[in-house]
Amino acid sequence: MRGCVALFTLTILSGCTGVQSALDPAGREAGTIARLFWWMTIGSMIVWLGVIVLLIYSVRTRAESFTRRKARIMIVGGGVVVPVVVLTVLLLYGLAPIPAMLAPAPPGSLKIAVSGEQWWWRVHYLPPGQAPIPSANEIRLPVGEPVEFHLESPDVIHSFWIPPLGGKMDMIPGRKTRLVLTPSRTGVFRGACAEYCGASHALMAFSVVVQQREEFAAWLSHQSQPAESPQELLAIQGAHLFLANGCSACHTIRGTAAAGVVGPDLTHVGSRLSLAAGILPNDPNAFERWIGQTHDLKPEVLMPAFHMLPPEDTRALAAYLEGLK
Amino acid sequence: MRARNTIDQLATDVEPLKSAPPEDVQAAQTERLLKAWKTPTGWRYWSAVNNSEVGLWYTAATFFFLLFGGVLALLMRIQLARPRNDFLSAEVYNQAFTVHGSVMMFLFAIPVFEALAVMFLPQMLGARDLPFPRLSAFGFWAFLLGGIFLAGSIFFNAAPQGGWFMYPPLTSSYQKGIGPDIWLLGFSFIEIAAIAAAVEMIVGSLKCRPPGMRINLIPLYVWYVLVASIMILFAFPPLIAGSMLLEVERAFGWPFFNPAGGGDPLLWQHLFWLFGHPEVYIIFLPSVALIAMIVPTFARRAIVGYTWIVLAAIGTGFLSFGLWVHHMFTTGLPGISLGLFSAASEAVAIPTGVQIFCFLATIAAGRVVRSVAMLFSMGALVIFVLGGLTGVMVAIAPFDFQAHDTFFVVGHFHYVLIGGALFPIFAACYYFFPLVNGKQLSEKLGRVGFWIAFIGFNVAFLPMHVTGLRGMPRRVFTYEAGIGFDALNLTTSIGAFVLAIGIGVIFWDLLRPKGKQPYSERNPWNAGTLEWTQEMPGKPWGIRSIPEIDSRYPLWDQPDFIRDVDEGRFYLPDAEEGLRETIVTSPVDATPEQIQRLPGPSFITLIAALATGGFFVFGTFHWWWPALGSLVLATGVIIYWLWTGTGLIPEKHEKDAGLGLTLPLYSSGPSSVSWWAVVITMLADFTAFMCVIFGYFFFWTIHDDFPPANINGPGVMWPTIAAITLLLAWASTLLARRWNRMDWPTGFYAGIVAAVVLALAGTAFLLAGPWFTRLDPTSHVYSATVWILVIWTAFHIVIGVVMHGYCAARRIARRMTARYDSEIVNVAVYWHFVALTVVITVAVIAGFPLLTRG
Amino acid sequence: MRETVNKQETLWLLAFSPAIWAIHFLLSYATASVWCAKISGRDNPIDGALLAILVYTVLALAGIFVVGWLGYRRHRIGNGNLPHDDDTPEDRTRFLGFATLLLSGLSAVATTFSAFVLFFFRRC
Repeated sequence: MRGCVALFTLTILSGCTGVQSALDPAGREAGTIARLFWWMTIGSMIVWLGVIVLLIYSVRTRAESFTRRKARIMIVGGGVVVPVVVLTVLLLYGLAPIPAMLAPAPPGSLKIAVSGEQWWWRVHYLPPGQAPIPSANEIRLPVGEPVEFHLESPDVIHSFWIPPLGGKMDMIPGRKTRLVLTPSRTGVFRGACAEYCGASHALMAFSVVVQQREEFAAWLSHQSQPAESPQELLAIQGAHLFLANGCSACHTIRGTAAAGVVGPDLTHVGSRLSLAAGILPNDPNAFERWIGQTHDLKPEVLMPAFHMLPPEDTRALAAYLEGLK
Repeated sequence: MRARNTIDQLATDVEPLKSAPPEDVQAAQTERLLKAWKTPTGWRYWSAVNNSEVGLWYTAATFFFLLFGGVLALLMRIQLARPRNDFLSAEVYNQAFTVHGSVMMFLFAIPVFEALAVMFLPQMLGARDLPFPRLSAFGFWAFLLGGIFLAGSIFFNAAPQGGWFMYPPLTSSYQKGIGPDIWLLGFSFIEIAAIAAAVEMIVGSLKCRPPGMRINLIPLYVWYVLVASIMILFAFPPLIAGSMLLEVERAFGWPFFNPAGGGDPLLWQHLFWLFGHPEVYIIFLPSVALIAMIVPTFARRAIVGYTWIVLAAIGTGFLSFGLWVHHMFTTGLPGISLGLFSAASEAVAIPTGVQIFCFLATIAAGRVVRSVAMLFSMGALVIFVLGGLTGVMVAIAPFDFQAHDTFFVVGHFHYVLIGGALFPIFAACYYFFPLVNGKQLSEKLGRVGFWIAFIGFNVAFLPMHVTGLRGMPRRVFTYEAGIGFDALNLTTSIGAFVLAIGIGVIFWDLLRPKGKQPYSERNPWNAGTLEWTQEMPGKPWGIRSIPEIDSRYPLWDQPDFIRDVDEGRFYLPDAEEGLRETIVTSPVDATPEQIQRLPGPSFITLIAALATGGFFVFGTFHWWWPALGSLVLATGVIIYWLWTGTGLIPEKHEKDAGLGLTLPLYSSGPSSVSWWAVVITMLADFTAFMCVIFGYFFFWTIHDDFPPANINGPGVMWPTIAAITLLLAWASTLLARRWNRMDWPTGFYAGIVAAVVLALAGTAFLLAGPWFTRLDPTSHVYSATVWILVIWTAFHIVIGVVMHGYCAARRIARRMTARYDSEIVNVAVYWHFVALTVVITVAVIAGFPLLTRG
Repeated sequence: MRETVNKQETLWLLAFSPAIWAIHFLLSYATASVWCAKISGRDNPIDGALLAILVYTVLALAGIFVVGWLGYRRHRIGNGNLPHDDDTPEDRTRFLGFATLLLSGLSAVATTFSAFVLFFFRRC
């Protein structure tokens, strides 16, 4: 018993921090929930310890001194009155934030459509009055502004979750769900799929970057541009190989002939913080591994592995893709 | 549920015989009883149907599955001990967690409750056996067969990998193997067995109590089992209905859950959790019931707050049906729905808490005797309370937005299930073991096992709460290093192995050879409840004579109780005809009503289970012809079983039950156990039907036009004609019943023939509606739903026709007469439900489109 | 009027109050869901549904009160004291009455909890 308490304290001390931690809030919604959590945790601990103390008292107390009246106080007081009062308060406190959390973002807010697909994230920024700007496996947000996510899925159920910013919301085929998040500080965070969605459910994450408004605007405007043509020889080769090997059947690189829509848009893939939905760093080596050993890295993923390519071709493709900043 | 007593009967308190029968009479009685209740030997042992044997096999099988699920858990913990580990592949890990969850829920937690109840319920009720011993045996064999099929699939890398919750479309269109089929059909089979057991428990608790055990005197365990069994009736059918829809979608492409055809994956979630949440309480209540038996014994006093505990059991039973959406808080449902389900989820904490304070008060008011059973009970309370508190937390919707589908929830429900079920079951092992083979378990090993398990458990599962809130989702076969999960997961894995060692110690204590150990003394714990009248080792008859009860704790309060039972001073001290018998009483006041003859050993239960299982197993592989063959075979075997084993006309109308009481040997209608069984079974069946109806209206709410404008069917004419014809079939059945009772055979046969003809014609008319309007069930969920409703109804009518034939044959064979008429009476009950099903089906498929189209 | 003990007693009384809670709960849920899906849409006021839930709540609490009162009267028959554990028709009736009373209390609390949604939700 004592060991457990010590261990628990230790784990708490080891920190609630982390890029994916709900207890290290960086958004308004997450903050509300974390506060709720701490109050409930303190309350729960008091009740739990109270019950344990009562249990010890009950074992130790002499039967003669435990009168009927005490029994009644224990059952009616401990079993009825206290729970009803505590639960009433808790319920009122817990229901209150729901309407605001589920309400749409105010008109004019940034909207982002995200589609969860086995096992990556298709992202479209929907700035008011502009064409949608495609991206994948990374979300960037301006700090301090409510953002409305429109969530859907073409295959199985996924769940969109950025713990430091707020709660999760499922992406359900045939339905459109909505989630509003309001980041409150800048930084780099990590989101993940929370609903079991098949073999590689564990390998479906994404980076989240919260920036100042201006930085974000500049970034978004860059994202809306087509890809720049490669300059280096190796990368130019890679660009040819990309088309020659049929990569373009599934991937789009705006500004080139590649216009496939099955897989992620790669127009600016080199500028993202991670590869393959948050499972690899973004460097040429990682690209090579991904192209050659796709199914070792992500079991059952739709993309075919191109392990038959000669190593120099893979290297050229990696150099090209890495250069798509 | 009326008690049929007169004031006189209520007023008299029956006393046991003043003096014991002479020794030679006692010896002769004992011999005859032993002969009637003899357990078969040799290979025929497996034909036994006695509750003590079946209960033991059942419990052993569930414990085996517990170990199996536990080993899977350890494999998963090895995989998760380090980030990016490659001990298990994603494919194997996903099978492992699916099978772990499914095995623990369907092959351990629920069946172990039924197994323990089969074993101990008759003992606690001073009954010789449950009312339908062969049904228990059938349930066990079905469970074993289905369990082996499911658990074994993982060795062929063919196990389901959709999670124990099987959410479509992952499990409908995105998993091509037979894994999901194994899950859907295998568990449907097991659930049907579980419902059979539940029927038995309900009838057993209401109708097989000893005389005088009024509703205010029944052991608390029986209250809990009664409530949990009634919950099964309403909780399992939604899953059976959902499984049927999902399997039909997988096999034939009817788009119930496929949005491309107008279906919706959320319907599955509703049906699944409408089962899934009550299920948690179906596991918890019978386990806490064990604590309710153990605590008074070791506190050496009657339970404090008996009525409060009854309140807790019944209240939880109801409220647990209002929680299912709290598993769906993040699916984008309206906020007001979340609020309603948050409210109910908080409310259920109140009855759950009350019973714990009753236990505390009992402990305080008594003089506690130390024992391993008590240690496990108290450990269970400590663990369960924390699980309950985190449950209160996740029931608050905003917090659930974060906690849902993370390791926080995994930690939460392991606290609930291990504290609320596994530890009480271990407590019960130590407490009840002497009743099983007359030996006691080792207090020393028990204490060691407890502390290792308790510490290991907390080390494993407490950190999980933090892991989850630091962002680790559930059901992941691996995780990223360096983002806060590493140390926590390693701790959990170490704790899991410590827990496993503790459980290993307990299992060693259970299994170690005890040949040299002396038998325990009788009633070793000095308990007050009826099961402890048993001799050490026990005799197969259950109880030597069936006592008259005046108290909640007869062994404490009724003087010379065990002596009176042993010397046959109570009811039914003999088996003059060499037959197995027990007393049937009224539900409220336990007034004796009938002597029920019970069937003896038979392999028919095993054969029936194999034949029924064949249907499900062949169906899994989509081998339709063998499946159909199995179905026909199963029908034949079951008819043979019923024909030779049920509704037997006794050689005399009534017999002396002892103590001046004469009781009939046969009854039909509401005083008979078979009538109750039919009513209860049909309630479950009707619940499944209503779930499909719910599906119809669910689809209406999600579609703007439902029925779709371009689909015209099934029309009004054919369904209406069908309804009229089928109601006439129902009326003919009732007339047949009436004319049989009037002993007018011609009328009876005419009624049966008319009913059969009308029923078959009505079925044809019913199918004609969607057929002639060319509803294509694969094109749109509307057509699929109409078809499934029609087929469901038609299937029930065909079964009803078989029943008509059965009744006619019984009458021809003189196995049913005007006086001994339970067959036609029970078939009439079945037809009441059929009539209701017909009316609702027709009103929905023909009437509702009229409303929506104006 | 002092009630005499019924020579017959049924178990149904126990189920009445929780059943009222269940009906209240399902009706509230169904009304809200259908209203959101078919009438108001996602982000519009749902006053009609809220009014309906209010009416259900008043009716349900009244019904639970009546059942609880029936239970209380059975509980108090004669001079029976808890724990109602005698093998007599009187104690059987008192026990059923007391259990009915307790279940009514629980059902009233649960129904009130459900009605809390009226304080917070103006839209779906």
